Amino acid sequence: MTPRSVLVAILAGRPNAGKTSLLMHLTGSPQRPINFAGTSVERVESRVVVEGTELQVVDLPGIGSLSALTRDEQEAIGFLQNRAAQGSERTVLCVVLDAVKLSVELRLLAQLSGLGLPLLVALTKNDVARASGRPVDATELERCLGVPVLEVNALTGAGVAALRQAILRRAETGRPMPLDIDPAAVAARVQPGSAAPARSLTDRIDAVLLHPLLGLPAVGLVLLAVFQLLFTGADPLIKLIEAGQAALAAWTVQQVPAGALQSLLVDGLIKGLGAILAFVPQIVLLMTLVTVLEASGYMARAAFVLDRALSSVGLSGRSFVSLVSSFACAVPGILSTRIIDNERDRLATIAVAPLMSCSARLPVYVLLIGAFFPPRYAALVLLLLYGLGIALAALVAGVLRRTLLRGGHSALLMELPEYQRPSRRVVVGQVWTALREFLVRAGTVIFAASLVVWLLSYYPRPAHIHAHYEARRAEVVAADPTAQKAALLELDRQEQAAYLEQSYLARAGKALQPVFAPAGFDWRITVGILAAFPARELIIPTLGILYSVGEVAADSYELGSLAQPGASGEGLRARLRSAVDAQGRPVFSTLTALALMVFFALCSQCMGTLATIGRETRSLRWPIFTFTYMTALAWVCAVLVFQIGSALGLGPART
Amino acid sequence: MSHQETTLDCLPPGAVASVVRVEGEDQIARRLGDLGFWAGTLVEVVRRAPLGDPTQYGLRGYRLALRRVEARRVVVRPGQVP
Repeated sequence: MTPRSVLVAILAGRPNAGKTSLLMHLTGSPQRPINFAGTSVERVESRVVVEGTELQVVDLPGIGSLSALTRDEQEAIGFLQNRAAQGSERTVLCVVLDAVKLSVELRLLAQLSGLGLPLLVALTKNDVARASGRPVDATELERCLGVPVLEVNALTGAGVAALRQAILRRAETGRPMPLDIDPAAVAARVQPGSAAPARSLTDRIDAVLLHPLLGLPAVGLVLLAVFQLLFTGADPLIKLIEAGQAALAAWTVQQVPAGALQSLLVDGLIKGLGAILAFVPQIVLLMTLVTVLEASGYMARAAFVLDRALSSVGLSGRSFVSLVSSFACAVPGILSTRIIDNERDRLATIAVAPLMSCSARLPVYVLLIGAFFPPRYAALVLLLLYGLGIALAALVAGVLRRTLLRGGHSALLMELPEYQRPSRRVVVGQVWTALREFLVRAGTVIFAASLVVWLLSYYPRPAHIHAHYEARRAEVVAADPTAQKAALLELDRQEQAAYLEQSYLARAGKALQPVFAPAGFDWRITVGILAAFPARELIIPTLGILYSVGEVAADSYELGSLAQPGASGEGLRARLRSAVDAQGRPVFSTLTALALMVFFALCSQCMGTLATIGRETRSLRWPIFTFTYMTALAWVCAVLVFQIGSALGLGPART
Repeated sequence: MSHQETTLDCLPPGAVASVVRVEGEDQIARRLGDLGFWAGTLVEVVRRAPLGDPTQYGLRGYRLALRRVEARRVVVRPGQVP
């Protein structure tokens, strides 16, 4: 292979200028994150070979000016300054300008030219400008600026080949000079009527969607539709993943002899992987919906409608996207806070995003609601749990912005872009990015944590338990050689439970139990809470073992099962209802179940989220703070529910 | 015949004004400049959000939402400049 020369092309421009679609057309290949030397920041990049030169195209987050307001802008500007400081060899800055609002875009161009990188202009959306009667004369613009101007269509890809050639040629020319232009004057010359506000179809749609009376119901309807799709759409895929996981576990049990290795593979590796994969359908579906809403231009409208309400509790209209995403998973929710204008607003949003009931809590809710509440109350309880998270998020954000995050000028300077049909390539790219972030950042941590929990729940395995059950198995075989299979299986389950009861994890649970006693939790529930530390839904298999039902049938925690009581998945539900403690008193009551669900609605049992908060805030303080306040809040609310309920006579029978 | 100067937040929806200057030297003032609030720029007050704040403005071919606090920084002269 002949060695190729490498050329870096950086796409920079204001938000919504079409950079990401352009990147896809320039290289035609999927994006890949890379770390450039000297920056800690991953940038979306993609490469293509043109005439023997490897062209690396970097897509920067949108910037409105060289004085950064948001975290996204800080990263983009830091990257540009870094590249400029390294010398401009083999780097071309491709400034993407939106023809619709050319004069404002030219101001950014003038600022960017001061970096001293060789630059050229990609002019997008001139078709839209033409349609509204304000076309930009690209030839005249090139003459005024003295740098190449290429008209491209970021949606269809027209003009992209010429742009690619121009980037290669631009790298050959000498050191550039800063542009000394008057944006208003240049725009007035190349685009007649550039100083005036424009009118288009977007304004007619906005007249409805931002209507004084219809605006709020419209946001409500959109949210409702999103949740409906989320709950019904993800279900079949989650079932598929669970079936795959069960099949893999069964196959492993056949192939690997019983013992520590089998348990590590089945209860550690496969369960850990399953815990991660089970999130994937909901994340993909919700991120697709959020990206479509965002790319179509509606999310900015929702932020516009809700800004007043959100800013009254110390958040921002821009927090809305993050909070909605957090209903699937807080990890993409926290990542999307980068567009928030004010750092304190952003930190407050990050701190409360995990209070939104994510997809990992749902199976826990469904299991307990199914076991302890009549079907006609199921939806109401579910709604209350989601509402509790939202209400407390508002409360916590309000308190934070008046204490730890007091002050700071909270501003909203938000463009309401033209409505447009989202580009499929962009949606696929963004969803893949969100999913990859989840798998890399959260997945690895969840996986590692579930291995640690397996280790603690498997060992030390005292030999006397094995001896005891071997003896009992021998008795069973001796007594009744014909009907022994069921009895032997039952003994296996009891042995498993006995091992777990002696494990380090159970010892920790018993030691911690007094802390949770005021909430009505016994040591087994406490162990479940500890086992759920990597990811919330892990409490279900743990309860399954502790209450000796072996493998938990999937129907006991699937949403659809709430509507059909008495379905086949009654195993764990029935066991939970009939469980008794050492004195023969029932462990669970409706009240205990409610306290446990309240605990899970508010606690921060998710290593992935905490790891993401740590990375996004570049501190240890925020993950520790989030974990502490959420756990405290969860404990207080669970205790309140149990104590008040008991005082009202709703608790389990007392002796 | 020149109209009285006022600030952008005082104008009702439907009003049109031309920018005189942006008050202040801080980051928000700079950003308002970067967003197109230059002397002579025409600004249209499009609508308030359903809850009364922020407000949507039209200028330089695009739409922008500003809260009252930020709009107060922009000194304008109501009515179209000939």
